[in-house]
Amino acid sequence: MDRKLKLKRGWFGDTVSYVYLTILAIIAMFPMVWILLTSVKGKGEMMGDPTAFLPKSLTLDNYRTVIQQLGFGGNVVNSIIVAMSTTLIAILISALGAYGVVRFFPKFGKLMTRVLITTYMFPPILLAVPYSIIMGKVNLMNSRVGLVIVYLSFSVPYAIWLLVGFFQTVPLEIEEAARVDGANKLQVFGKVVLPIVAPGLVAVAIYTFINAWNEFLYSLILMNSSDKMTVAVALKSLEGQEVMDWGVMMAASSMVVIPSVIFFMLIQKKIAGGLASGSIK
Amino acid sequence: MKSNYRYRAKIAGFCFILPALLVVGLLLLYPVVSSIFFSFTSKHLIKTSYDFVWLDNYVKILTDPDFWAAFFTSVKWTVASLMGQILVGFTAALALERIRRGKGIYRTLLIIPWAFPSIVIALSWKWILNGVSGFLPNFLVKIGLCETAPQFFSSGGLVFPTLVFINVWFGAPLIMVNVLSALQTVPKDQYEAAQLDGASPWQSFVHITLPHIRVVVGLLVVLRTIWVFNNFDTIYLITGGGPANLTQTVPIYAYNVGWGLKQLGRSSAVTVVLLIFLLIVCMFYFKILDKWEKEGA
Repeated sequence: MDRKLKLKRGWFGDTVSYVYLTILAIIAMFPMVWILLTSVKGKGEMMGDPTAFLPKSLTLDNYRTVIQQLGFGGNVVNSIIVAMSTTLIAILISALGAYGVVRFFPKFGKLMTRVLITTYMFPPILLAVPYSIIMGKVNLMNSRVGLVIVYLSFSVPYAIWLLVGFFQTVPLEIEEAARVDGANKLQVFGKVVLPIVAPGLVAVAIYTFINAWNEFLYSLILMNSSDKMTVAVALKSLEGQEVMDWGVMMAASSMVVIPSVIFFMLIQKKIAGGLASGSIK
Repeated sequence: MKSNYRYRAKIAGFCFILPALLVVGLLLLYPVVSSIFFSFTSKHLIKTSYDFVWLDNYVKILTDPDFWAAFFTSVKWTVASLMGQILVGFTAALALERIRRGKGIYRTLLIIPWAFPSIVIALSWKWILNGVSGFLPNFLVKIGLCETAPQFFSSGGLVFPTLVFINVWFGAPLIMVNVLSALQTVPKDQYEAAQLDGASPWQSFVHITLPHIRVVVGLLVVLRTIWVFNNFDTIYLITGGGPANLTQTVPIYAYNVGWGLKQLGRSSAVTVVLLIFLLIVCMFYFKILDKWEKEGA
């Protein structure tokens, strides 16, 4: 195989590929790099020379302002609580559901895919109207519980979609062996199946966490008091304030985006390809 | 005995999927039905009482030039973003597939935008492209490409291409990674055979690569079409639909009607129209995908 592949590799095509990828990588990375650089620059510095790359002197003043004066820490805590709870509940429901479909109703696999795609079609802005009406009625406006419930609406279908692919790799023989040994269905699921799919489960959990952490629209509509806001909406409200300071904004932005990027890099190999191919086969 | 066992297995299986069914039913199907219900009423954001106005909301929307402007902006935004994302994502995947060294590191760097929350996409690009002290406008002036700093968000001619560029920046990595994993499913010996027959790389691409990956890529295009068309955050957070409603898409229009004018009933009608349009587009897509799948089998 190697010999044949070498045949079609010209140096010209290789060079073009490397140059192209390098340009794309610079564009892809630039906002991340610029957020970090801006966040450690002094106040006057970026106005003085907007194109200067490296800061003349490092300062953590912007981060101090974000945490001490703007109380951003509270929003970070809100987001962690909401995203963690969403993840735990969504993964529990989705793992049971995905396993149930794969093991007990394999014939409905195709139907399930269609249902999931159809629910994916529901515009979030369409769901936002009834969510705000219902949450108002049951007194869950401005409540983290209400937000977690709403977040299940997109995280469960997504997680099932991804998990079905992982559960399909578990050989039936292993489960049957455990059944012969006298384990019931729930024990088989918990003690035999889950450990096998654990790496995939962790990856999907992290992906669910990132999506909940990043979410904006539902949080905008359901959380209006500033102490209950998640990071995304708190960032948006910072922008509306009169004294707009880009250094402070970028410091807050970096606190929101860095966890997402790092987590995503850890799981990308497991998640990424499965989005399109996962449950379709 | 055996049928009894099977029956019990079905019940057990049903218990496994019950919580997921409840989520889909209560959090997705019920709200959609209730949105359709409210679209026939004069439901207000704050007042609790409402009347049935039947098709009044729909008539109001469909005769509103702003709605149609938003609709065409949405179509333009979706088509332009998707074409850009597919072009960049596809070519990047082919380039990554070709190179031998640094594959992992390039891949990791290229997917960074995918993890960005919409609010940080908006803030970082607004800062980089800021007309006064943003990096890019000042950089363009410095190297002599522009006389004065270009106003990417307030100039009528620039704002739309700028938004599409940002959406391509964000969406291309997802296409790239999925195309890359689809490329792994193409049997390598077919390329060798084609090469021996004297096929050009372009011919191999059209006759071997494309037929193998088109179903996966097609589904990806369906999902991204839905996502971009429904997307509210990106444009709302960058321009808010401005300047002068130039970048107002249907979801932003619906938000402005529902939470700006406080007309939740009419806002529901807008979103129902949006959903119906998506259903029609997707039916069309799935016809093509089914045909491809049958041809492939």
